[in-house]
Amino acid sequence: MKHGELLDDLSVRALDAAWLRDALAPVSPYGDRAYLAVEPFRRGSEGQAQEHAARIVRLARALDAARLDAVREVLRNVPDASPAIARASMGDALADANLLELQRFFDACERLDGLVGDCFELPGVASDAVRASARALELGRSGRFGFYVADAFDERLAGARAALARAQAEYDAVRGRAHAAVAATLGREIAGNEFIVMRADLSGTLPAGVRVVREAPTYILCELDADEATLGALARRDEAAAAVAQEEELIRERLTAVIRAHAAALDLATRTFGEIDLLVAAARFAQAHRCAVPAIGEDATFSFRGGRHVALEHELQREGRAFTPIDVHLDDVAVLTGPNMGGKSVCLRTCGFIALCAAYGLPVPAMEANVPLFDEIVWLGAGTDVEMGGLLSSFAREVVRLRDALARPRERRLVLLDEFARTTTPREGRALLVAVLERLRATGARALAATHLDGVAPAAGARHFAVRGLRGIPHRPATDDLHAALVTLAASMDYAIEEVTREATRRSDAIALAALLGLDDALTASAYDALER
Amino acid sequence: MHARVGASILQLAQATGTSSLFVVGTGKNVGKTVTMRAIYDACVAAGVLPGLTSIGRDGEAIDMGDAQPKPRLFLRPGTVIATARDVLPRSPASEMLALSPLRTAAGNLVYVRVRSDAYYELVGPPTASGIREAVAMLRRFAPYVIVDGAIDRIAALAGGEDAVVVACGASAAGTLDEAVADVRALVRRLCVARVEPGAPHVRIDGALTPGIAAELMRADERRSVVVRDPTKIALGGRAALHALERLDVRCERPLNVVAVTVSSAGRDRSFEPGALLHAVAEATGMPTFDVYAAQAA
Repeated sequence: MKHGELLDDLSVRALDAAWLRDALAPVSPYGDRAYLAVEPFRRGSEGQAQEHAARIVRLARALDAARLDAVREVLRNVPDASPAIARASMGDALADANLLELQRFFDACERLDGLVGDCFELPGVASDAVRASARALELGRSGRFGFYVADAFDERLAGARAALARAQAEYDAVRGRAHAAVAATLGREIAGNEFIVMRADLSGTLPAGVRVVREAPTYILCELDADEATLGALARRDEAAAAVAQEEELIRERLTAVIRAHAAALDLATRTFGEIDLLVAAARFAQAHRCAVPAIGEDATFSFRGGRHVALEHELQREGRAFTPIDVHLDDVAVLTGPNMGGKSVCLRTCGFIALCAAYGLPVPAMEANVPLFDEIVWLGAGTDVEMGGLLSSFAREVVRLRDALARPRERRLVLLDEFARTTTPREGRALLVAVLERLRATGARALAATHLDGVAPAAGARHFAVRGLRGIPHRPATDDLHAALVTLAASMDYAIEEVTREATRRSDAIALAALLGLDDALTASAYDALER
Repeated sequence: MHARVGASILQLAQATGTSSLFVVGTGKNVGKTVTMRAIYDACVAAGVLPGLTSIGRDGEAIDMGDAQPKPRLFLRPGTVIATARDVLPRSPASEMLALSPLRTAAGNLVYVRVRSDAYYELVGPPTASGIREAVAMLRRFAPYVIVDGAIDRIAALAGGEDAVVVACGASAAGTLDEAVADVRALVRRLCVARVEPGAPHVRIDGALTPGIAAELMRADERRSVVVRDPTKIALGGRAALHALERLDVRCERPLNVVAVTVSSAGRDRSFEPGALLHAVAEATGMPTFDVYAAQAA
């Protein structure tokens, strides 16, 4: 999955693009190859992107989770037959392991078609070429899953093997007699070629037919020598083995020729496997996260209703909490304000995540959405200041990222600013943020800036959205348990976002939150006093 | 030579109720493959066609490390092996049973059944987890599994219900006394007994390293020192003997060491076979066999 110019590394992290990549990961080597080539749809291909997302949703509706998982199980267990097809195309006679890989691949094609043959959203894979190739290998099927260059392929092979078995038996008999003769002379059992004779056990010389490998003071390491009869039997066995090797090779060449003749169609089948793997992974994603087909148009308006950030939703679910879906409408630049812990950053991340999904032609985690194809999605501000050079301050790092982003020529860009310029003086930070929004508007960007700075929206002429915030001041839990405090906070917080039509200084509820999170009463009381002063 | 020795070892192994056997050695060229071949021949003679694999590389004609001739594995039809696909003989053809994603030094692992008598080379997975997977898979095709092991991959024994045969020999030691001390330390380590239920103990998570052992000895630890299994005792030679004498080292999952084999003829030196055989038997207290001289202590 390539990001190309769509995301830089810090935006990849801020938007959980790696989470999305893992969630969509294929399970087969065919899918892995296809996945490497996946890149975002570019502007001008809005229709294709939307149709791609629609196809995934149709697939998710046509096949339930159990069937999709069954398809993935087939894909997960199929070996990679592509190298074998390539080798056959290039004129190599395939090895038996390659022929087993191909047989398994053909079996998987049949199983896949059996599983999803009634689903029009997935292409068929068991083509005539697959069936013809599978038939050619069928004589080699051994048991349910094995492969063997069997006698059934050619009676000459059967004859050669029978001759080899006779030659081997003759050699074994000759060798056995030699062993027996030496053993009788030594008065002990021997087997194999190498053995030790203790000098103390030896009366006289070594028996005939024994060669000395090494002599030591107390023993002799010996080897059975090959007499004329043994050498003759060995020669006949080797000759028979060579005949078998020749017949086996002829069969491999015959089978390889069938694969070579169908190589182009088989290669297409492997690519179709990869395509199915990706589609099925995306359909499972759509099912698991209740995704919808976004309207992907040329209009630059970006909006969604009931949007969710699924990575965060997943995390919250593990803690027994729920994600509050949000609505966003962004047709220009806009400002988002609200209390700490009110979900401003999550809102930005949700915007980025949904735009990212649409860029790859995926269904989006929202009830409905209108999403343009952006040339770039940029995250600026909090969360991106860790990775850059240690000589720069947080503010300097943000500015450098902004400078670089503005220098990149992009016609359509989504810029998400999370508390940009929060580390400088409020007065100048506000001025800077206003100027940035004005510049972004001038470049035609869609931008959403989450901030605690007052008066940014009217100064920039931007729409102003706000998180509704605390419904009241929550009571601190009896214990200092942070998890309990977060649960209490979540219960008191209204995460819904609404447009602000009349500007006024808004509460951030920061002191109340600090108290909830465990700051002592004296300190928070003092803070309230200071606020009044 | 080794038919009776092989049969004796097989009998000892099967008496433990295990269905797989690892041959591990004190070093290179101490007769592991010859021991394995003896046990294999005993299996074949008893009508049990086993599964075979190796940790690393075995059965090749020439030692890849020192270009010396190596004992080869002549296998009979019906034997199942797990080996690398690149070292399979093209002829005679073998029955391909299964493909594995496990990688070895010579390509991915494959499971094959021998269909005609031939020499085979075993190149198995290099990792402990890989070898356990291969053993489990071989058990699906064969009633008994023999693994040509390696002393530096002893972790493969962990978690398995295997019999273990220890091979030692002249190649791995400068003197007979050294060879005996090495094998004594290895056997002592592998034979660490199960911890008594309820006995006061200190459990070592991970490996009992020389540093931890020295610390425990300095503290004059009297409780049992418990490791998960003997492969977690990361001590060798004299250090192992010293620590095992001073500390009451126990384990939760003991191994089944059933025999020791000796190879008196090394490449650079050889020891008097009878002396080595009896010294090793006495030092280890284990049934001990000379696979070359076909003798038992």
